[in-house]
Amino acid sequence: MPAADVVVIGAGLAGLSCAVELAERGASVFVAAKGMAATHWAHGGLDVAAPPGARSAAAGIALLARQPEHPYARLADDVAPAVAAHLDRLASAGLPHVGALADPLVSMPTAVGTHRPAAILPLAQAAARDEWGDIGLLHVGFERYRDAWPAYAARNALRRPFPGAPARIAAVEVSLPGLRDLHNLNALTLARSFDQPAWRARALRAIAAARPPGRWRLALPAVLGLVDHAAAFAEAAALLDGPPIELVSVPPSVPGLRLWEALRSRLLALGGRLQWGFPIVGVERDGDQITAVRTEGASRAFRLVGDAFVLATGGIAGGGLRAAPDGSIAERVFGLPVSAPPREAWFADDALAAQPIEAAGILTDEALHPVGGPRNVHVIGSALAGMRYLDERCGDGVALASAHRAARLLGRAGAAASVREEGVA
Amino acid sequence: MTFHDAAAREFPPFSTDACIKCTVCQTVCPVARVTDAFPGPKYVGPQAQRFRGPASDHQVPDHTVDLCSGCGICTRACPAGVLIAETNNRARAAMVAERGASVRNRLISDTDLLARLGVPLAPLANLGLRSRALRWIGEKVLGVHRRGPLAPFARRTFGSVWRRRGGLTALPAGADPERTVAYFHGCAVNGFEPGVGEDAVAILERNGFTVIVPKQECCGLPFISNGLYDQARRKARRNLAELAHLARAGVRIVGTSTSCTHALKAEYREMLDLDDADARAVADATWDICELLVDLHDRGELDTAFGPMHEALPYHPPCQLRSHGIGTPAMDLFALVPGLRATDQDHDCCGAAGTYGLKAERWQIAQDVGAPLFAKIRSAAQAGARQAACDSETCRWQIQASTGVRTRHPVEILAEAYRRGDPATDAGLPWRRLV
Repeated sequence: MPAADVVVIGAGLAGLSCAVELAERGASVFVAAKGMAATHWAHGGLDVAAPPGARSAAAGIALLARQPEHPYARLADDVAPAVAAHLDRLASAGLPHVGALADPLVSMPTAVGTHRPAAILPLAQAAARDEWGDIGLLHVGFERYRDAWPAYAARNALRRPFPGAPARIAAVEVSLPGLRDLHNLNALTLARSFDQPAWRARALRAIAAARPPGRWRLALPAVLGLVDHAAAFAEAAALLDGPPIELVSVPPSVPGLRLWEALRSRLLALGGRLQWGFPIVGVERDGDQITAVRTEGASRAFRLVGDAFVLATGGIAGGGLRAAPDGSIAERVFGLPVSAPPREAWFADDALAAQPIEAAGILTDEALHPVGGPRNVHVIGSALAGMRYLDERCGDGVALASAHRAARLLGRAGAAASVREEGVA
Repeated sequence: MTFHDAAAREFPPFSTDACIKCTVCQTVCPVARVTDAFPGPKYVGPQAQRFRGPASDHQVPDHTVDLCSGCGICTRACPAGVLIAETNNRARAAMVAERGASVRNRLISDTDLLARLGVPLAPLANLGLRSRALRWIGEKVLGVHRRGPLAPFARRTFGSVWRRRGGLTALPAGADPERTVAYFHGCAVNGFEPGVGEDAVAILERNGFTVIVPKQECCGLPFISNGLYDQARRKARRNLAELAHLARAGVRIVGTSTSCTHALKAEYREMLDLDDADARAVADATWDICELLVDLHDRGELDTAFGPMHEALPYHPPCQLRSHGIGTPAMDLFALVPGLRATDQDHDCCGAAGTYGLKAERWQIAQDVGAPLFAKIRSAAQAGARQAACDSETCRWQIQASTGVRTRHPVEILAEAYRRGDPATDAGLPWRRLV
């Protein structure tokens, strides 16, 4: 029976980064996850805050913090240090990012030819922040690779140009060496191919040769290597006359896999434990405290004993909350009270608008203890009530800030020296 | 429990309705990682499943499901609770029922038969296994890869050693069932590695248990993995008949093979539809030996007089162990041995997957799946580790054959630590080497 200072339930961005920071602060931590998480379909950038009307993430945070039920109303001060620590961790894992909370939001092109507001981007997407000038945007796809649609993206982008968009947009499909013989081509298999230096060199030369005349910045499928990404990206930037922009399309998201691996390996290196395939099936209580959770085993439950528990299981989409057709919404681990609009108000008339049901979640106090729930539980990430992350683009920021708040409160005092506390420059 | 959970428990393929197409399973599949021939768990599982089933004329829309090694990693990674590996295993069984199985698959699945043939002729049979010429013929004629990791036959089966010792085979009158365990040795200990069984019994006896070895057969897992469900059910029914009354009496069934114990815990019900009171009782009573020893330790009852072992020990938790959902109990036990520096090698699968890595057409896939693990263990050996550890027999044989590093069951490591802790009293163990 493993015992830990803190048991973290869920291994998405919130759960993993909370566990990492707890381990950095000297706590013993055990992460139990039902399965792998939304990192595997993340778009790669960091969504801190970009609600309609905000010109920077910092302004977006301030805007959202004015909504009393929004997580940022309690967490606003934690966002900057949490983001800074997160970016430090990723940089030391070979995943440097560019951008700051105060930077003006830029338009990041997408794989379908739309754009989204972004501030902080991984290096392999950061060229989207640069002025276009007379440089054109060239959407690149690969022959036989069905998860990139360069012509569609270019047509869409030309039809609906965004502010500051490049003057020229075009598309090209490149035949990469050896792919003709493959049956199963997805982002991950391509990324593994780009991990092979010899093949990568040939592939990048083929891409370079396929460019039409003129100056272009390339939008490539996000497949530039999984474990050897830094070298793959550097070689691409050198061979393609400037850094390309990696675009994520359908899952699996290779940038998400890089993020998952960076956090996972850091947690293990710090002595933290992580098990997936461990859905919670029972809880042990003593008064208003949780003493243990039970995870599903092949024939008997497995007990995880902890002093404190961090709930990072996500919202309805992540599986932390289960919404039933009768309008009831249940939190699936501890049975915490859920704040949600009434059933008839779940959805807006416009299917593509922000939906009120997105705000469903757990209400907490300043310490992220669930209101009306056990006193040694902290709720972080998308399980929190009050945000509409699709419209507000605040999911990553809330995940990191709430993880940081919980880790700060739970981490052992005196072990925090390695954690940077200053804000993003 | 939701409708899905309940339905999936009845029939695992029902769970595929919960698939959200996130492709997480695709990213963790060790076979899809190394070969383009296997489309991956999502495609042969939730995607293909809609074309299977009793209403469909096409039971076998996609024979590539046969390339699945059955490691089960996809099921554990799925955030939506889809029983992917279980669904794929049933799809393979339907395919075998429709198309038949090769002589090779029937033969290598029948481990009891192999032991019956091989053990009496062990010196000769082992010579044959070492003969390059015979292995080459075996590959050409049977399809068993000439370098497939086959362990040498034991000179006596564990069962016959046990009988010679006069060991108990039934619960003795007046025995405390709580302090009695039924040891399920499985076919590997019986025919190939009786020493693992001896060490297991020694450790259990040292910790105050009365050990009985009930009549038993191979758990049937090799048949399940090869889609031969009827043969597997015959094995399973006979084992359940022998074990159920012990389980009901409160005796724990303890195994050293994480594959056998997982079959008893889960696969009899999930794959073979043997979901009756007997199967439930046996599943509830079954423990992996390291799981049991950690449980003892939690209660403060484990004898921890381990002698020092100042060495590094690379450890690979096998896929079947991970499917138990019990973490890595061997690592918790290794931590009790002074000086022992065990490290989880953090690799998904060794590739062997039971009989998968033996097959001529699968051997290279299995090697490629395990290659990063082999490299880690080889470099640990170069840095001074004299042995490695792993809970599952075919994984041990695969690692040993591919690295040249002696690979042992955790109980062998623990038995050695007990011996070192107590050199005066007959190697510290009440058990005497009988072979």
